[in-house]
Amino acid sequence: MLHRAALCLLIAALPLAACSRRQPPAEATPEIATRDTAAERRDRERLEQMRRDSIAAADRAAREAAEREITARATSVLEEMVFFDYDISELRPDAQTALGRKVPILRANPNLRLEIAGHADERGSLEYNLALGMRRAQSVKDYLAGFGIDAARLTITSYGEDRPLDEGSGEDAWARNRRAEFVITAGGSPLTLPGS
Amino acid sequence: MRRPLLLSCALLLAAAPLAAQQQDTARPPGIRLTTRYDVATRTAIAVRPFSAPPAIAAVADSITTILQRDLEYSGRYNVLPVPGSLLSGRVDYRQWNALNVVYLVTGAVSATASGYELALTVHDVVYGRVRDEQTLRLPAATSGEFRLAVHAASDDIVRSTLSAPGIAATRIAFTRKNPRSEGGIYTYDVLVVDADGFNLRRIGGASGQIYSPAWSPDGSRLLYAVNTGGGWRLVERELAGGQVRTIDVGSSMVTTPTYAPDGSRIAFAAWRENNWELFEYNIAENCCLRRLTSDRADDISPSYARDGSRIAFMSSRVGGMPHIFVMPAQGGAALAISPYVHGQRGYYTSPDLSPTGSEVAFHGHWNSRGTYQIMLADAGRPGGQVRQITSEGANEDPSWAPDGRHLVYTHAGVRGSEPGLYVIDTATGSRRPLATGSAGMRLADWSPPLLRAAQLR
Repeated sequence: MLHRAALCLLIAALPLAACSRRQPPAEATPEIATRDTAAERRDRERLEQMRRDSIAAADRAAREAAEREITARATSVLEEMVFFDYDISELRPDAQTALGRKVPILRANPNLRLEIAGHADERGSLEYNLALGMRRAQSVKDYLAGFGIDAARLTITSYGEDRPLDEGSGEDAWARNRRAEFVITAGGSPLTLPGS
Repeated sequence: MRRPLLLSCALLLAAAPLAAQQQDTARPPGIRLTTRYDVATRTAIAVRPFSAPPAIAAVADSITTILQRDLEYSGRYNVLPVPGSLLSGRVDYRQWNALNVVYLVTGAVSATASGYELALTVHDVVYGRVRDEQTLRLPAATSGEFRLAVHAASDDIVRSTLSAPGIAATRIAFTRKNPRSEGGIYTYDVLVVDADGFNLRRIGGASGQIYSPAWSPDGSRLLYAVNTGGGWRLVERELAGGQVRTIDVGSSMVTTPTYAPDGSRIAFAAWRENNWELFEYNIAENCCLRRLTSDRADDISPSYARDGSRIAFMSSRVGGMPHIFVMPAQGGAALAISPYVHGQRGYYTSPDLSPTGSEVAFHGHWNSRGTYQIMLADAGRPGGQVRQITSEGANEDPSWAPDGRHLVYTHAGVRGSEPGLYVIDTATGSRRPLATGSAGMRLADWSPPLLRAAQLR
């Protein structure tokens, strides 16, 4: 019992942060001689340091996991594509909703930069579809900028009809291919969510 | 109409003066000759297999075959077979005349230190005399330019017999989007093929998009748009040496380039103020960027008239749908030449102005349910008639041959025809495949004449 009391005193002398987190496990108590030699003190300090390190590592891992989780959630919102009607570059209501979800993330991460790439379906001319893809990307950029997002953070490009999401032909495939895609070009790791 | 013009004229002399008089009563009475040129007329011609020493008989055969095919592909001749009895010996005009041959080509091939010599004779069978005679130096058959030299000889036959431009010594540049790799990457190539469909070769490529190749007016360079990520830029490639340079026009979004007829300036579309506008740039001096259009719609795909005075282009300024317009080359009032019908979602893109006249070729559809077809309209007559010249499958991106008569275009393939590039004779409607077997072949541009017979003498 005396040993235990001595140990407790020692712990009490340690920085509060470490002590307040956890009670030391009972089985960690070594069967040692009663005399407090310098060697014993060093051993105890070493053990204590190890415990503190492992607690810090666990904290860090938990923090990083949470961060990764948040970044992944934010990334999937940012990368969510928006879709367009045939030969149209104006945003549909569903596209506006999807873009609206990106706005708070863009606001919460001022270093975040996005490339918006416009795509077209296979109908029509290659050159005109390239032009149309650019117009679609611009619509997206304008919409986001309308929420006060700095336009300099949003670059736009077009691939025309050359990178279909769905290689098939027919209205279903075309509808999936008329879209804007989002690529995080800077400031994407880590991301924070508003309020987190 | 296999008989020559001369004979028609003779008949006119005898029978037509009355009709001529009626047509033109202001002139004094008498005989008046008129000629009527029907573009679809095919003049009868024969190419007698060229003679050669046995050691190079195969070369002579291939020269004969290339020439015959070229003359056929010009669309201007009915190339008649040569009967076995007339394969060699002295040319007897009466015998050829009896076969209704109007022009006869004979020749002899001999070997030289660096290749061959082709002694070429064009006979006017009707007049019974030699019309043209020349000796041409051809490079070795292993040379990449051997076929081009034979093509130049063919074009000279077209010139000397019909005073018309030949298109055999030309090439077609185009791009190919290759099938997606296992890693999900698309690669693109720039390819060039001779006008007869032979000599297909890759001259460059990228692991990103390559669009809209355009020949320089002297045939020495190609200009095209490349997107390897981060935007579109213009690249000019020297064909002989392979040197490549990026043309910096101060924008990272540049497409659909074309050369002005003088070769020192280019026109293209660039993304500016949230839409596509046309610009001109002096590539000889790397200066003098000039904006040609200014509106809120998209303007792309410029094409110069041969005299450089006008530009045809595509614009979405009417009803938001793509239409074909023509404007002065310096910019200014643009006139729509594609048909606009209110309420119909007509769609017309990819104009190319004829190098010999004022016809604009483009592709489009009359309403949103139609397939894309090649059409022709007169750049000088806005609102004039539009002629649709294809109807099978989907056909896009026409480019004029330098004869202003043939077009190359992309065919998407239907039952019984492979996807790829095809050539159509706009005078007769006859078509032939140029390069097929890949759905990714596209955006063809027809070169100017690349070699003339005079350069081989």
